[in-house]
Amino acid sequence: MNAHATPPVISPCPLPTDEEQRLQVLLDLNLLDTAPEERFDRITRLAARLFGVPSAMVSLIDAERQWFKSRVGMELPETPRTASFCAHAIRQDDVMVVRDACQDERFAHTPLVQGENPVRFYAGSPIAVGDGYRIGTLCIIDSVPRDFGPEERDLLRDLAGIVANEVAAIDLKLAAERQRRSEHAVRALLDHLPDGVLLLDDSGAIVSCNQAAERMFGNSCTALARQSAAAVIGVEPAPMVRHEGVVRRADGGLFAAEITIAAMTLDERQHLVVTVHDVAIARAERERLRAANERRHNYFRTASHELRTPMASILGFSELLLKRDFDAATGRELMDIIHRQATRLISLVNQMLDLARIDSGGSSQLHPITLDLRAVLVKMHGALEDPALAARVELHPGPALPKVFADPLRIEQALHNIVSNALAYSTPESKVEIDLRLDARDGQPGVLATVRDQGIGMTPEQRAQIYDAFWRGGALPDVAGNGLGMTIVREIVELHDGVIEIDSTPGGGTQVGLWLPAQGATPA
Amino acid sequence: MSGAVGRKIVVVDDQQDLRLLIRLSLRTLGEVAQAASAETALALLQQQAPDLLILDVWLGEGMGGLELCRQIKADPRTRGVRVMLLSACGQQSDIAAGLAAGADDYMVKPFSPEALYEAAAGLLDK
Repeated sequence: MNAHATPPVISPCPLPTDEEQRLQVLLDLNLLDTAPEERFDRITRLAARLFGVPSAMVSLIDAERQWFKSRVGMELPETPRTASFCAHAIRQDDVMVVRDACQDERFAHTPLVQGENPVRFYAGSPIAVGDGYRIGTLCIIDSVPRDFGPEERDLLRDLAGIVANEVAAIDLKLAAERQRRSEHAVRALLDHLPDGVLLLDDSGAIVSCNQAAERMFGNSCTALARQSAAAVIGVEPAPMVRHEGVVRRADGGLFAAEITIAAMTLDERQHLVVTVHDVAIARAERERLRAANERRHNYFRTASHELRTPMASILGFSELLLKRDFDAATGRELMDIIHRQATRLISLVNQMLDLARIDSGGSSQLHPITLDLRAVLVKMHGALEDPALAARVELHPGPALPKVFADPLRIEQALHNIVSNALAYSTPESKVEIDLRLDARDGQPGVLATVRDQGIGMTPEQRAQIYDAFWRGGALPDVAGNGLGMTIVREIVELHDGVIEIDSTPGGGTQVGLWLPAQGATPA
Repeated sequence: MSGAVGRKIVVVDDQQDLRLLIRLSLRTLGEVAQAASAETALALLQQQAPDLLILDVWLGEGMGGLELCRQIKADPRTRGVRVMLLSACGQQSDIAAGLAAGADDYMVKPFSPEALYEAAAGLLDK
């Protein structure tokens, strides 16, 4: 009764001093909770038979448990670490032997010793891997006390050594895999760099390079390796902070580059790492951004000006009408102006929105179908509201032509804008002629619509400004319009991979060509 | 307003509607002549220098309003002409550029005809 009154004392086994790293090594091996493996099972079978014991295990000491990678004569897959003999064994350099667990204060009261199939004898040899981290043991147990002599210890130690070798083989395989992945990641990183990178060995020969270098020099790594590094990079290969030079491509083309060369030791040999930065690309990108910003700034400045101008008429004349007395005829005239300017304002707003939509949406804004340009021309002609203007337009649709793949509404809009300009900038009695024909651009077949007027024409300076938003040809003071027509035409044509061509001389009329690739034609 | 008699005002704007609006706004201040371009305005000025010039900044293809203003202020014969720039460009930098060109005042479109009248009357009385 008294013996039961005192609870059994299980003094917890102190943790090894390297417990944290030891656990990490064990986890990294990915051995815990894996299926049994013959390479371990044959060792535990051998141990059980050699020592004539009922049980032999490869026990791995996890944070809270011991888990058996291999077990002979042991039903449990794991037991708590607190009751574990092996937790003690891994704290020793050599084999730990417990001759009779009932006589050992550390184990006498543990469940394994007190349970149904009590453990009386234990011998365990630590399994050390890596830099000597003892991840577990090869152990044998028996239900009766035993002696364990020096020869038997040697034998158990050797068997544990074999287990450790098997574990090391796993570790090696994992390390190789990690190495492969890391090399893969470094390669991917190098190939995604915008700058060219070349690796030179101690004789100055090109050993390898990244994709950017292959692109810049227009040659494969293998082909580059056959040339001298000095010939490729245009400077003697020696460590340098920055060299600005001109580099030659395989096709003979030149580009400005900033070259940095750094020394690096690899496999105990001196290497050089050459970084090639294509200055032109960076410069062109900066210039493109600057120009885009300037364009946007100018666009908003001009847009604001163009919106305020009709507003000035609308607000100004309405204030006059509200505050002053006018005779009926003058009042009527002023209201006409207000109405006209309000109409102009709304048309301007609509066109600006249209341009913004085309500009921001890109080709996703298009709804292209297989299209006969003749049908589009006829429809555009029919939609001209003023019969006097429509009568001035002559269509010469030509013979049957290939179809194009285009957005019918956008192409009609583009043709309408071109024809409206032709009508507006020529005299009321002159004709505007439109013809269609087969024509190729850069070897690519397509259809060319040409709009020809006999109007005032343009100077080369005017011609250069025609696509600028809000620019209007100024020589005819009464020409309406908001200067967005040709800007929209160009956006539409470019979205269709088409070409817009203008031929004009002052006083000699203007000819505008709108070319679209034939359907199914691929760029040359 | 009795002093209005004999004062000469020239309106320069490429928009016909706006020339009319300015003319109607200022007609009780004096005699209002108009020009659609800087070149026409220069010709008018050479015949007789007005008391006040109401001048647009963006004038289509020819000479701009700022350049015309600079020429007027540089020429001893026309230096005394009061110049009011009247433009749809209303940013601080636009106004600064206008005053740097020698303008006596700068008004932004859209404008109130009454406010334009007050400002023009103020300039004429300087």
